[in-house]
Amino acid sequence: MADNETPRRTLSARGRWAVPGVVAVAVAAAVGVPALASADSAGPPDVTPAELLTRVAEAEPTPVQGTVVYTARLGLPELPAEMTGADPLNLLGGSSTLRVWSDGAERSRVSLLGATSEYSVVHHGPEAWTYSSTDDAVTHYTLDPEDVARYRALAERVEAAPSAGADLPTPADAAAQVLAHAEEDADVTVDRPTTVAGRDAYQLVVSPTDDATLVSRVVVAVDAETAQPLRVQAWSTSDGEAPSLEVGFTDVAFTAPDASVLDFSAPAGATTEEVVVPLPEVPADVAAGTVPDDPAGALPEGVAVTGSGWSTVVTLSDVDVAGLVGGDAASLATVPGAERVLGSEEAQDLVQQFVPSDSDGTPGKPSLDTTALYDQLTTEVPEGRLLSSTLLSVLITDDGRVLVGSVPADALRAAA
Amino acid sequence: MSRAEVLDGPGAGLPVAAPAPVAFARLLRSELRLVLGRRRNLVLLAGLALVPVVIGTVLLVTRDSALSGQGPAFLAQVTGNGLFLVVAALFLCLPFLLPLCIGIASGDAVAGEASAGTLRYLLVVPVPRTRLLLVKALAALTFAAAAVLAVAVTGLLVGAAFFGVQDVVLLSGSTVPVGEGVVRVAGIVAYVGLSLTGLVAVGLFFSTLTEVPVGAMAATVVVAVVSTVLDSLPQLSAIHPGLLTHHWFDFAEFLRVQVDWGVVGSGLAVQAAWVAVFGSLAWARFTTADVTS
Repeated sequence: MADNETPRRTLSARGRWAVPGVVAVAVAAAVGVPALASADSAGPPDVTPAELLTRVAEAEPTPVQGTVVYTARLGLPELPAEMTGADPLNLLGGSSTLRVWSDGAERSRVSLLGATSEYSVVHHGPEAWTYSSTDDAVTHYTLDPEDVARYRALAERVEAAPSAGADLPTPADAAAQVLAHAEEDADVTVDRPTTVAGRDAYQLVVSPTDDATLVSRVVVAVDAETAQPLRVQAWSTSDGEAPSLEVGFTDVAFTAPDASVLDFSAPAGATTEEVVVPLPEVPADVAAGTVPDDPAGALPEGVAVTGSGWSTVVTLSDVDVAGLVGGDAASLATVPGAERVLGSEEAQDLVQQFVPSDSDGTPGKPSLDTTALYDQLTTEVPEGRLLSSTLLSVLITDDGRVLVGSVPADALRAAA
Repeated sequence: MSRAEVLDGPGAGLPVAAPAPVAFARLLRSELRLVLGRRRNLVLLAGLALVPVVIGTVLLVTRDSALSGQGPAFLAQVTGNGLFLVVAALFLCLPFLLPLCIGIASGDAVAGEASAGTLRYLLVVPVPRTRLLLVKALAALTFAAAAVLAVAVTGLLVGAAFFGVQDVVLLSGSTVPVGEGVVRVAGIVAYVGLSLTGLVAVGLFFSTLTEVPVGAMAATVVVAVVSTVLDSLPQLSAIHPGLLTHHWFDFAEFLRVQVDWGVVGSGLAVQAAWVAVFGSLAWARFTTADVTS
């Protein structure tokens, strides 16, 4: 056969056929070896929950850039398959890849990656932009000039605080406070160290002691070196196999990103929408650095809270859900507390994203038929419509109440 | 069997053998002339080149109508910037048209000679089978490159003629100057071309298995299609990263504000793995097979 073909040393036919086998093994090894190598690192020294929280509290804000993978297994119904572009709605289910850059201070960029699209959020202190490559649309969020001044004053006060902070709690005190507060309703432990994005990380586990909640435990992986959080997992009582919600770095570097990445200017030809976001009034006691003892006292009218700790149920009354879902801007006024601003700017951004804005008279066009989406996500129950996921249940009753809680759907129906 | 097995090394009975590199270059040149001059292949290239022309014309005609701005990714940007015609045309050709053309060319490489009865004469040439296979592989790769370039170059010419070339708006919303935009689009073209090397290797392997070129061509296209189907099943997400077609559309990485070379590298590494496995399979088959036709 072919083995006598030259005077030179040659392989037999069988030897030749062994070559592809060797190549295949080499390829498999190239894939498998890095996974094995990372498995047997010695790991960082042991810590207690209090020590770990102290290190987190002590950690300086640091520039970061990396890739984040977000996975939701909320048990929600499948969304329409044609939603293939980078759209924040994708975060309701499945896996999404985000890229994150931050200078550790005022400027950051987060990009939600689609196969051939991208949804970017660029944040510069009091300003923020979102850009969707699918519809080539920019939304520019700003504060009005007075609020910008207040924002600057607040930022300066925060910056000045550490130097003047003789009366401020030390990181250890703050950590002890947070820990004591968390331990009222949950067990806080440190699990064995793990590896996230190739870095050693401690795992802080918060397991609610309350049986009524859907949350079985929340696991935060904290980088052993920089004490920055690397991954957060929320596990549901209904799924012991995989976390219901997981967001974590797959690749991270604590180095300053390029200035060009953090810059943003609206591309020529893109449709631009300007949104002025009101800055929430800071209550005097918060500004003074004390936390109000009774948060329920700050609740707006129409909002009721029942239960405590992890199984708290929030009830909103007299909400025109059908109008909201249909994109009727006027019905926004029926949401209790809508005239107030949500606690965080991010939450406000989210609401602005999904609620049509009538500030300039042009209701934002919904990227998807929101009524259809609402019908798809919720199911009919005798009390109204129910959205049930592995971590959170929402019951919208026919008489206009909305009950939200991290409890099983039956508990909400009983409460309604 | 043994008649056609004058294999590695200068053939014993042949009078004057040119030095190996010269013979190799000569063989490669004649093979390239054969592949790129074959009428069927020229028609394939012309068909591919027609794609951007058609897309560009359609977009030019409908640019002011209500239909403008609709369609798959990158199409909407074309009317604003002709450079995107290259990207849009590659995007549309990549799932099926390019694999089809490459399947035809690489599946034909060895099986075509076998079915025409010319393979045994080719093996009489005093060139080792390994080198002969290398020549076949290089010719198939050249055709793949020509196919991608046919789409890209006509896309660029038609896009520039119809819509002009402006600064490029990236998927991230940042705008980069024309020069950098051209470099990024060139990166896309190179990535797409290299993404097809794995399929060329698969086609070459099938081509060594059979004397029926159509079988090898069809099998090659089937591999690409099956890979796409498997890639769309979420239940198989564990094997997705290794699939032949999984990283093909990662060329979009070149249109992000910061190109993540890790993503580009892993896409190319997967292709390299497919080339290594199927290239060595093709080699093992071709150097051990009995050639009777």
